[in-house]
Amino acid sequence: MRTLGRTRAAILALVAVMAVGACGSSSGSGGSGGAPNTVRVPQDHSTIQAAVDAAKSGDLVLVSPGVYREAVDVTTPNITIRGTDRNQVILDGGFKKENGVRVLDTDGVVVENMTARNFVSNGFFWTGSDYYRGSYLTAYRNGDYGIYAFDAYHGQFDHSYGGGSPDAGFYIGECYRCDAVIDTVVSENNGLGYSGTNSGGDLYIVNSTFRNNRAGIVPNTGSYELCYPERESTIVGNLVYGNNNGDAPAIDVALLANGNGILVPGGVRNIIERNRVWDHERTGIGLVPFPEEDASDLPPAKADWNVPCSKTRDRKVPKIPADKCKGLEGLLKSCAVLWNPQENRVIGNVVEESGVADLTVSTADLFNTGETVDTLANCFSDNTFTTTAPTDLQALAPCDGTGSGGNWDAGALDLLGLFTEPAPAPPTDAWRSAPKPPSQENMPKARTAPAVRFRGPTKPNVDAITVPDRPAGS
Amino acid sequence: MTPYRRWRNVGVHRALISVAFACITVAGCSDAAPRRVASGAVGADAPELPRVGPIGPERYTGPQGRVGQFVVKCTYSHSGENDPIVHFGHAGHSHRHDFYGAVGTDATSTPEQLETQKTTCDKEFDTAAYWHPSLYDGNTVIRPRSIAAYYRAAPGVNPESVQPFPFGLAMIAGDAAATEAQIGGAVGWVCGASTDLQAGPPDCPASAPLHLELTFPDCWDGRHLDSADHRSHVAYSARGKCPVSRPVPMPQLMMSVNFGVSGTGHDLRLASGSVVTAHGDFLNAWTPAGLAREVNACIHRDVVCELASNREEEALFQVR
Repeated sequence: MRTLGRTRAAILALVAVMAVGACGSSSGSGGSGGAPNTVRVPQDHSTIQAAVDAAKSGDLVLVSPGVYREAVDVTTPNITIRGTDRNQVILDGGFKKENGVRVLDTDGVVVENMTARNFVSNGFFWTGSDYYRGSYLTAYRNGDYGIYAFDAYHGQFDHSYGGGSPDAGFYIGECYRCDAVIDTVVSENNGLGYSGTNSGGDLYIVNSTFRNNRAGIVPNTGSYELCYPERESTIVGNLVYGNNNGDAPAIDVALLANGNGILVPGGVRNIIERNRVWDHERTGIGLVPFPEEDASDLPPAKADWNVPCSKTRDRKVPKIPADKCKGLEGLLKSCAVLWNPQENRVIGNVVEESGVADLTVSTADLFNTGETVDTLANCFSDNTFTTTAPTDLQALAPCDGTGSGGNWDAGALDLLGLFTEPAPAPPTDAWRSAPKPPSQENMPKARTAPAVRFRGPTKPNVDAITVPDRPAGS
Repeated sequence: MTPYRRWRNVGVHRALISVAFACITVAGCSDAAPRRVASGAVGADAPELPRVGPIGPERYTGPQGRVGQFVVKCTYSHSGENDPIVHFGHAGHSHRHDFYGAVGTDATSTPEQLETQKTTCDKEFDTAAYWHPSLYDGNTVIRPRSIAAYYRAAPGVNPESVQPFPFGLAMIAGDAAATEAQIGGAVGWVCGASTDLQAGPPDCPASAPLHLELTFPDCWDGRHLDSADHRSHVAYSARGKCPVSRPVPMPQLMMSVNFGVSGTGHDLRLASGSVVTAHGDFLNAWTPAGLAREVNACIHRDVVCELASNREEEALFQVR
């Protein structure tokens, strides 16, 4: 790679601007200004923002060690923003700025090998931006999410760390089919290790570690955002342990989910296989309903579950008819809708040391519809466990063949008892003092590797993944 | 991006006309408080302009995220019997208001002063002032939790046409003098993040507590930062179009006040009167570059930069 002098970079930036102006388009690999170049910070531009704005499609913005007190908005497509040292290239929000890197309706933006901390909102955030990749990133002490994609498709988060956020360390939300992969990440000391509302479809969460959060992996459904229900997330080969962290920052849903390993509130058709899950005060793997008390819509028909979000998001949502609108707590004006977990498959996990149950599925017939948990078509097979709720769950609901026809009421989960007493709330600014992570692994050849256009995630070979071993000392 | 930075502090000119405490002549105004000038020219009175456009907004309903938006969350700051739009310079002349945004907003606050203040909002450049009448339960004043201020193109409005609010713009949503349920959808009560407006406060569960939703006008006349009635310099769009005399599309600001009230048996009223007098005020003192950045990033590019939901409410599963 060549190093550009300031003048050369400025000329190239000018050429790029002129090219955009002439063509009215900045699409296309490499842009119109010639071969990809490297734009260096602080050598060519003193701020990352200035370098990003000057870069053209295909360029590498290469950032040298330093603490950068800026919030970077990215609207230049197909660029790579990379730190030369993950632990020493630091975006710092000073508890005032909102997002370390925010990618806005801009495709092909790769961010790698740097740290974002102390942002009021998020560390790294892609919104409405496809072909996104975040690799070798560290996000900690951020006020909402660590590493976050919303309404974004064809993405990948790998070799990254999210810690100390009151919401989720990692979040992929509002997409179907997402075509996205989370692989080889560590998420700890958050409210939720992973959260994803109304996402799924070729969405893989694999080979990663979720530990010491309030709750581990929590994909959920809700009609407060588009593209419900959450569905078809594939959660395989993860280490999920000790998610009872009463010191972690937390939004209120994290307090409710506190003490659960993998919890699926209202999600459907998820695949949860070959994870190792242990040391949870409540459940190891729990499929639970999500009662949405200020619902915007009713659950869609099953036939709609495989309709892409792009086809459902602009549908007019009628007001919920009064007779379908149920009030909880005897409050008829609140309009509650119950999202049930359905058709989830829980297979071959090793689940241990759960306070309430290693494996559980439940519903709550809040509205006297007569729908019972045995009709929800969730299944459990080949798991290693000690306790389930209901009792003997694998016999009641095997993934192959028919169930035993036994009693679903025996040992059923006391769902209300489980969730009516949320954990005590930490101070609202607990995220500001969350633990600083240890030094994290750098990407190989950060200084010299060329920027490669990201054309979508590599689908993991899920069948080859085995239950991971417990790490030494845990 | 801020051609309309026009506030002045002037000591001798008439300021905004307020219905209750209007200065009839300059000589009649013994109050030496700094005066706010409501239109562009120094010394001009807040002009009386004709009201135009529909009486209320076209609103977004249902799930969030159909169009680009940014959402500012501001915690409760303080309360006072002050109103720097309607009763500028007259401390204690207003009913009690709850304030958010710039810290210390009082009867003499000007946009220039507000912009130098700290803010209770989670966007550091949002030093605007937001306020509404305090809510009482019987004789007990409710301390509200926070507001979420949604900024987005109004339904049907081309997002790329939306201009940032001019610095110093004053706006009111709702009618403090209403004697019956307000029509038009500018104000309404809901539980949680619902968009199904009720004329009066519904009984709400703890996980989706009582909110007041106020939607401000989104079209501006391009000249006046305020008007005699504090309304007629702006208007609501209809079917995606602004009235020809209020041609500048602005963000549709929807302010959702979280009162944190739940359960039954409340006896609710507002400091301005019964619950039908619900209204809210906005005095734009965003750092102009900060507001322009968010309008460009989120509204023009039509992406969701933030959402507000009940993820942050307690007792999600509190069922008896």
